[in-house]
Amino acid sequence: MRRAGQVWQWSGAVICAAALFAAACGGADGATGSAPAPGGASGDDKGFGIGGDPAAPGAGQGGSLAQRELEAISGTVTISGSSTVEPISVRVAELFRDVAPGVDVTVDGPGTGDGFKLFCAGETDISNASRPIKSPEAEDCAAAGIGWIELRVGIDGIAVMTNRGNDAVDCLSFEDLYALVGPESVGYTNWSDAARLAAELGSTTSFPDLELDITAPGAESGTYDSFVEIVLEGIGDHRAEEGAISGDEAATTRPDYVSAADDSIIVGGIEGAAGSFGWVGFAYAVNAGVKLLDIDGGDGCVAATPATIASGEYPVSRALYIYVNAERAAAGEALTGFVDFYMGETGLVQAVSDVGYVTLTGDARAETVADWSARVIGG
Amino acid sequence: MRLGRVFDDRTRKAVTSTVYKRTRDVKGAIFRTLLQVALLVALLVLAVLLVDTVLDGWSVLDGRLGDFLAGGLRSQSGDPELGVFQGIRGSLWIAVFVIVLAFPLGIGAAIYLEEYAPRSRLTSFIELNIRNLAGVPSVVYGLLGLAIFVRGLEDITGGKSVTAAGITLAVLVLPIVIITSSEAIRAVPGALREAGYGAGATKWEVIRTQILPYAAPGILTGTLLSLSRAIGEAAPLILVGAVTGFLGGQSGLLDVTQLQERFTAMPIVITRWVQQSGRDGGFATAAAAAIVVMLVVVLLLNSAAIFLRNHFEKKR
Repeated sequence: MRRAGQVWQWSGAVICAAALFAAACGGADGATGSAPAPGGASGDDKGFGIGGDPAAPGAGQGGSLAQRELEAISGTVTISGSSTVEPISVRVAELFRDVAPGVDVTVDGPGTGDGFKLFCAGETDISNASRPIKSPEAEDCAAAGIGWIELRVGIDGIAVMTNRGNDAVDCLSFEDLYALVGPESVGYTNWSDAARLAAELGSTTSFPDLELDITAPGAESGTYDSFVEIVLEGIGDHRAEEGAISGDEAATTRPDYVSAADDSIIVGGIEGAAGSFGWVGFAYAVNAGVKLLDIDGGDGCVAATPATIASGEYPVSRALYIYVNAERAAAGEALTGFVDFYMGETGLVQAVSDVGYVTLTGDARAETVADWSARVIGG
Repeated sequence: MRLGRVFDDRTRKAVTSTVYKRTRDVKGAIFRTLLQVALLVALLVLAVLLVDTVLDGWSVLDGRLGDFLAGGLRSQSGDPELGVFQGIRGSLWIAVFVIVLAFPLGIGAAIYLEEYAPRSRLTSFIELNIRNLAGVPSVVYGLLGLAIFVRGLEDITGGKSVTAAGITLAVLVLPIVIITSSEAIRAVPGALREAGYGAGATKWEVIRTQILPYAAPGILTGTLLSLSRAIGEAAPLILVGAVTGFLGGQSGLLDVTQLQERFTAMPIVITRWVQQSGRDGGFATAAAAAIVVMLVVVLLLNSAAIFLRNHFEKKR
């Protein structure tokens, strides 16, 4: 009796596993004849214009490697830092592997701050960053004798969102945003609670009588830092001067909201409540089922689109950076080759747009490329 | 002892009612139904999750399973090279480290504690601590791994490598292996031991020929379940430096020369893809497919455990 029961258990688990496998394998058989998944831009990986003059923008003092030399170089490039910038660097690494198969590129994304810690300890060659390096971080780097080259690689708008069903709000000014999530908004649970403060700040926006559910990035996030810096800090400083808040509070948000480190959770929170409010990187919001609010930065309401973000018309946008270890960029040809490639059309245009970010305008791109060519060392 | 003390009124009533069938056992029936409901709910939740995941990942599993099993971390969900190979590779090596390190150490420690260690305060203090260690959150083991195996023993492990991760997770499951093995050894009937000694066997001979074979099924079940746990852990791996973005220059599944290189593992791949699904919806499908692949691996492991247990039970 006992034995029979155990045989059953055993065969049950095997059948379970086998069924899962068989189902999946059977499917694969059927699909061998069909075309591979529509890969978008990735379908033409190999064909992309490497043959042209890929390294031309990188030409200059540092010298650039021609295609044939790229094929011959070997080495490793270690990249860490912002999880927001991670997909761009990954895309560049994928494209780079096709021209320089001898170079092993590793990319991960623990966050901008953690990335700088590793970078200033000399553990990484490149640090992705969704904000410029802060002065304590710069001091760490200087103390360790690590110089860096700061390169702007793309732009990320910060999308300010509400639920799709929220028809009452279309456009918010910085004052409105301050009234909703600034340090003085602690305890507001309804949109209309913010009306008095917004009016006091000079806004004429009318707020609906709707429960206010805020889901947004937490203080550890680069997106949080950028939002505070661009939107709240100016008004906060002003309010601190007036004595309405203390100086320490000027560059903060209210603490009483749902903070999440994961962008998809933030978007989920916005989708899930009728009177939701929050902000997240544009790339994460644009394809989600949320309503993007227009933002008035003083020059009228502007919708968040790739065009308005690239031109700077959309007021809540930030630059994305890579920081290259200057010493190693001078010494290692794997790193030089990789950054040359990054600075090319394939990197700054194709890779950035492939993963859903906004590319730099022509002028800004030329500036970045020039910074790299001249190896402008920050610090 | 008088009978009245052993059988109080309630017992007497229950026995009478059962014998004469005067009343129906209503409470018993309710209890039984509740238990059935509990089982049903558990199974239902599992079934819903399983079906939902398989359906979500179906287009990948159905359309490009071969490529998916051979691919790696990618920036776009539409990339034909997107897949779980790098994750499987990392998880496989972690499993190897757990089997090679945690199993012999854990089972050895359990045998010592049960058979050799004197019944002293020190022994029970050690046993208590092992039980506590089994309940320590896995992140703490991640921190330990970062400090000792990534930083301290960098020359041996190669820093943020699959070796460091494997050792960390082996340490993580070690207490569980010790506890389950101890339980299995403790369950060996004392008569078996005494018979062995009575026949003139030495302690080692009794352990080898009587205790281990008898305890083997229990030990195997416990150890292999702890292996499944090690494979499913994500939190310690993040601290030990599993790669989330892109992993260049990886070679074959069993390439020993890569053991000191950077790595990724299935739980990390799944977590990252779920996060990326906000930017690129196709990653949700890929994540679901990766979950199914991981489920298959874990189910195969569990069925191996049950198979081995039955095998040893027959030999018992």
